[in-house]
Amino acid sequence: MMQIIFERTGGFMGSKTSLTIDLDELPSDQAQTLQRLLDEANFFTLTENPPTHSAPDGFQYTIIVEDETGRHTVTTTDTTTPEELRPLLQELSQRARSQRRH
Amino acid sequence: MHNHRCSILCITPPHMLHEIVRNGSATQRDLALRTIVTSEQIRGLRRVSNSLASLVETPAASVASAAPGNKQRAVYDAQNGSGLPGNLVRNEGDPPSTDPAVNEAYDGSGTTYDLYFNVYGRNSIDGNGLKLDSTVHYQKGYDNAFWDGKQMVYGDGDEDLPTAERIFNRFTISLDVIGHELTHGVTQHEANLAYWDQSGALNESLSDVFGSLVKQYQRGQTASEADWIIGEGLFTVNVNGVGIRSMKAPGTAYNDPVLGKDPQPAHMNDYVHTVDDNGGVHINSGIPNHAFYVTALELGGYAWEKAGLIWYKTLTDKLQERSTFQEACVLTVQTAGELFGENSLEQQAVKKGWAEVGITLAAETTTPSGCLPSVMNALGLKMNAG
Ligand SMILES: [Zn+2]
Ligand SMILES: [Zn+2]
Repeated sequence: MMQIIFERTGGFMGSKTSLTIDLDELPSDQAQTLQRLLDEANFFTLTENPPTHSAPDGFQYTIIVEDETGRHTVTTTDTTTPEELRPLLQELSQRARSQRRH
Repeated sequence: MHNHRCSILCITPPHMLHEIVRNGSATQRDLALRTIVTSEQIRGLRRVSNSLASLVETPAASVASAAPGNKQRAVYDAQNGSGLPGNLVRNEGDPPSTDPAVNEAYDGSGTTYDLYFNVYGRNSIDGNGLKLDSTVHYQKGYDNAFWDGKQMVYGDGDEDLPTAERIFNRFTISLDVIGHELTHGVTQHEANLAYWDQSGALNESLSDVFGSLVKQYQRGQTASEADWIIGEGLFTVNVNGVGIRSMKAPGTAYNDPVLGKDPQPAHMNDYVHTVDDNGGVHINSGIPNHAFYVTALELGGYAWEKAGLIWYKTLTDKLQERSTFQEACVLTVQTAGELFGENSLEQQAVKKGWAEVGITLAAETTTPSGCLPSVMNALGLKMNAG
């Protein structure tokens, strides 16, 4: 089983938006999409940098992916995100914003 | 030219000039305003030449290169991507676009430029006519705006979600957000306040202060007429709230089942210690925000004229990278003394503003006031306090 924890802090409002996804509990097409985005981001090879301060009003993001083999944490900001990570960030951000009203 | 400017300053102490602006005849008012602006331009030259010698030798050349009042704007479209700046869609002087976000970014940065130039004599973000670049339609579902160190960046809010789930509208919708972002650029070129903890909250507060003043200036509102809301219009109808922050009553801007309650404190007793948001820079900014509001309300009239001038000059001349709330209190009181006189009503109003949020002068210090220090200051010379 695989779990994705997403957290977004800062921004103009300075509030926190977070989301936890158990891939096993998602419909399989959605789980596959996330798995593909993780692969395309080469997520497990991205460096685990310590969090940095964001640009004024920029977001800070933390993505933690955990499975039987271990746990990998990536922190990033709007201005420092590697291009290959952006589609995953976009997907997680949309899911996090969408579940606020559920 | 330069000598002439200086002699006006020497004849009329700054606080007198402001008295004239308030009570003088139309002609007197114009002359006094021009003099205030001129003293700002002399300081602008300091940034260009950075030495008294070159200032005296080449003032005319410096003025020409600064091209004061010549605003240069460009709006770009990121087309929902992350590449900056994106495609140029509206340049200075181009007719309006059919895209409201483009026009809001263009007009809003223009109004912000106008406040800084017309009221404080500042020629753009860097004081030297820097082009104002804005990018709209940044990413998809980007419910935010930021300053990336070189330009303003705006998202479209929750446009990618079903209507019932949307919390945010596009971020250019709110003029004070545009003034807020552009002010981050001004701060970067001046005090360069470090963006974390108290210095970060001061950085945030200055952006809210001048963001709100841009809106008040555009609407022609006095301190008591203004709503002092930051981010009015950003929330969709789904949210129970009037905006993101309230300078008048921090902690009351929204109270919503989804977003929770506005977490801003209005007093040092309620300072929030957190690791999120660079140490709560958007939360603790409520404290200096409210100090400004109380000062402005106490002084009455247009907040940009006196309270705004005191804060502006403190930002450009006194605050430093790691300044604290306490230091901001001391320095704004000092600036008020220099501009309006020791123990002036203006200085008392500043003290009252900070006292209201639980911050007082650690020790009463007397600073020199009147003509000489302001001229020396204008020429970039330091004077020993005492
Ligand atoms: Zn900000
Ligand atoms: Zn702290």
